[in-house]
Amino acid sequence: MATNGNATDASPTEKKEDQPKKPLYESSTQCKNWRYSPEMLADVRASMNEAAVAAIRNAFEADEPGSSASVSFLNAQDEQLLVKLYLSKIPQLCGHFRFPEEVEATAMTYLKRFYLRNTVMDWHPKNVMLTALFLATKTTNNPISLEAYAGHIPKTQPSDVLDLEFLVAQSLGFEFTVWHTHRALWGVWLDLQSLDIGPDLRPPDIYEAALNHVRTSRLTDAELIYTPSQIALGCLAMTSPILAQQWMESKAALAKNTHPTMYEILAQTNEEVRVLLEQTGQLPEVETVREVDRRLKLCKNPEKVVGSKAYLAKQAEDEHKAQQRRAKKAEQVRRAAESNDPFGNDIDEKQKEALAGDLDDDDD
Amino acid sequence: MASRPNVGGWLMGKTIKKGGGATTSAHPTRSSTPQVQSTSTTVFGGGVKDPSGRISEYSSMDDQCPVCKSDRYLNPKLRLLVSACYHKMCESCIDRLFTLGPAPCPICQRTLRKLAFTPQTFEDLTVEKEVAVRRRIAKEFNKRRDDFPDLRAYNDYLQEVEDLTFNLINDIDVPQTEARIAQYRAENAALIELNIQREEQYAQALKEQEEYERQEKEQRAAEARREQEEAREERERERRQIIDRLETSNKDAATVIAKTRAETQKKSSARAAVAPFRSNSQLLRSRAAQSSTVPDVPHVPLQDDWDAYEGMYTLRDNYDDPPSEAVRRDREGIMRAGGYRVEEAWERALRCAVAGLEMAPLTSVAGDSDMDKLREVQDLPTPA
Repeated sequence: MATNGNATDASPTEKKEDQPKKPLYESSTQCKNWRYSPEMLADVRASMNEAAVAAIRNAFEADEPGSSASVSFLNAQDEQLLVKLYLSKIPQLCGHFRFPEEVEATAMTYLKRFYLRNTVMDWHPKNVMLTALFLATKTTNNPISLEAYAGHIPKTQPSDVLDLEFLVAQSLGFEFTVWHTHRALWGVWLDLQSLDIGPDLRPPDIYEAALNHVRTSRLTDAELIYTPSQIALGCLAMTSPILAQQWMESKAALAKNTHPTMYEILAQTNEEVRVLLEQTGQLPEVETVREVDRRLKLCKNPEKVVGSKAYLAKQAEDEHKAQQRRAKKAEQVRRAAESNDPFGNDIDEKQKEALAGDLDDDDD
Repeated sequence: MASRPNVGGWLMGKTIKKGGGATTSAHPTRSSTPQVQSTSTTVFGGGVKDPSGRISEYSSMDDQCPVCKSDRYLNPKLRLLVSACYHKMCESCIDRLFTLGPAPCPICQRTLRKLAFTPQTFEDLTVEKEVAVRRRIAKEFNKRRDDFPDLRAYNDYLQEVEDLTFNLINDIDVPQTEARIAQYRAENAALIELNIQREEQYAQALKEQEEYERQEKEQRAAEARREQEEAREERERERRQIIDRLETSNKDAATVIAKTRAETQKKSSARAAVAPFRSNSQLLRSRAAQSSTVPDVPHVPLQDDWDAYEGMYTLRDNYDDPPSEAVRRDREGIMRAGGYRVEEAWERALRCAVAGLEMAPLTSVAGDSDMDKLREVQDLPTPA
């Protein structure tokens, strides 16, 4: 697996001869399904917020006509603030449980991804955060028993964690594998030793500082926009521009045949990552978030508040639908049992025509 | 069906006896079946041998000779033998009727000879007959799969053999069947001979291998015995040496003992290092090298069109890496017990460091299809 110097030089030319191979990262779900541009992210969040507000307004109106006029719903930025606050709780919890960094990073990724497909007004991040962290312990092979987990968190029952688990997994599309930035940074730091740089030029506190930047980057949208290696390099560039520069140059030289623009791309992402971290890497002010949370209490989706009229109505509606399905199925069974021949009767011409019409849209 | 030719050796009574070819006499198994008490002076051959080379003879308390009607109650040593026409007779009747030469069978009148009688192996005589017929057929119809151009021809051949066997067993068209067998024999004489030789070679090879294994085992046991003996002698010598030194020197007894012990220890460990050590696996490997097997094609684990960035990094043998320091310094390998290799972790980190470096971040708003996809995903049904 390890390549020697010759192979490194020869491989780009070899690949040109036969079918060029696709980079491995492009096969990951992270690249395929969780990669956005900043505009796309904003668009996704805005449209989701819009849809949620419309749905909740309807639910309020159904509950009590005219009641929605006075409610101030959260906008996409408010949702973001709340999610970010609970993102920052994950490292605290992980420190308490002494989970490895991988669990922490995975849980934060899960939480961010969850709120790209769900809204805060439906599912409060406080609960989702606990579930995401518990799920992350399992998917990264650092399991902990549910009782021990819930027991160490105040006011939490095992069922609170478990109830949301399937929802979270489903929202993530069951794509649990994450390419992590801190691992990429480790790799960059190791690879620096292959360059001709003395140990005194790369003191360990640079690595620590870069790792802190990586931790900050988890509070931002960086991993949804850039690849882990780009973020790691950006974080290194923030602490030691010289080292990052040297490493970038060596990699760009290796890839000059296959990706001639790599150096420019990296220089650009370094700058963008730095700006992103400086602008959005801070924790939100607690007062602001508290205000948002107070508004959230009023505009929560009533269909998901146990005991409200909308909740009961939704339950009744679900029940009614299920009842209909059951009745339909029972009818089918009865009809099948009534027909005389267990292998089905002969089909007459009229039925045949009807069947032929049915065949294309008979999916259920 | 295809495995039938391999069974031939067993059916032909050429069972290989474990432990080598000590049995070369004409009737090797008489001595190993002492439970059958023969009243006759004639030694009867034949019978079906089990894999260890013994003939297990069938006898029951209800045995009765159909000719003289004597039974086990009257004659506890009654031994019934089977004729070529598959009729049972006791040994005394056989002696009485056939000592003076060939005579007709008292039951079916077919001419029988004394030496054609065999011990009974199976309770059911039709089985006895079937085994005999199959053994005879297998001796001549010994073609193999590779003697035929395709599977179809081989299957046809097996079908024909089965037909012939069935006819002989059930006495259907016996003269015709015999004629067919004779014709086949004439046509394929050379091939039959060749296949017989092949079978014999295979049996010989098996025998040699077993012999080799046995010798090897003995050798190892002898080696172990010798080592034990040496160790014992060594201990004895050490004891004597200690006593001698204690007698002659005037040093502290404890230091003298410790010194002598250390010397012996050194000597014995030096000898252990010198002693030729051939493990079982080594022996197996050397034997595998001797045999002329087809060389193994090297296994290629995965062939796909993904590039794992091998050209983008060079894995070094060692890194100055504080996070993995503990694992590498762990001499007992407790942390590596699950097969953890720090090189794998390094390589994964390096791969992660160069993966996706070249991907320019997305800039524009996604196309309509992408947005549709996103909306679709957002409309996931929520679990009840």
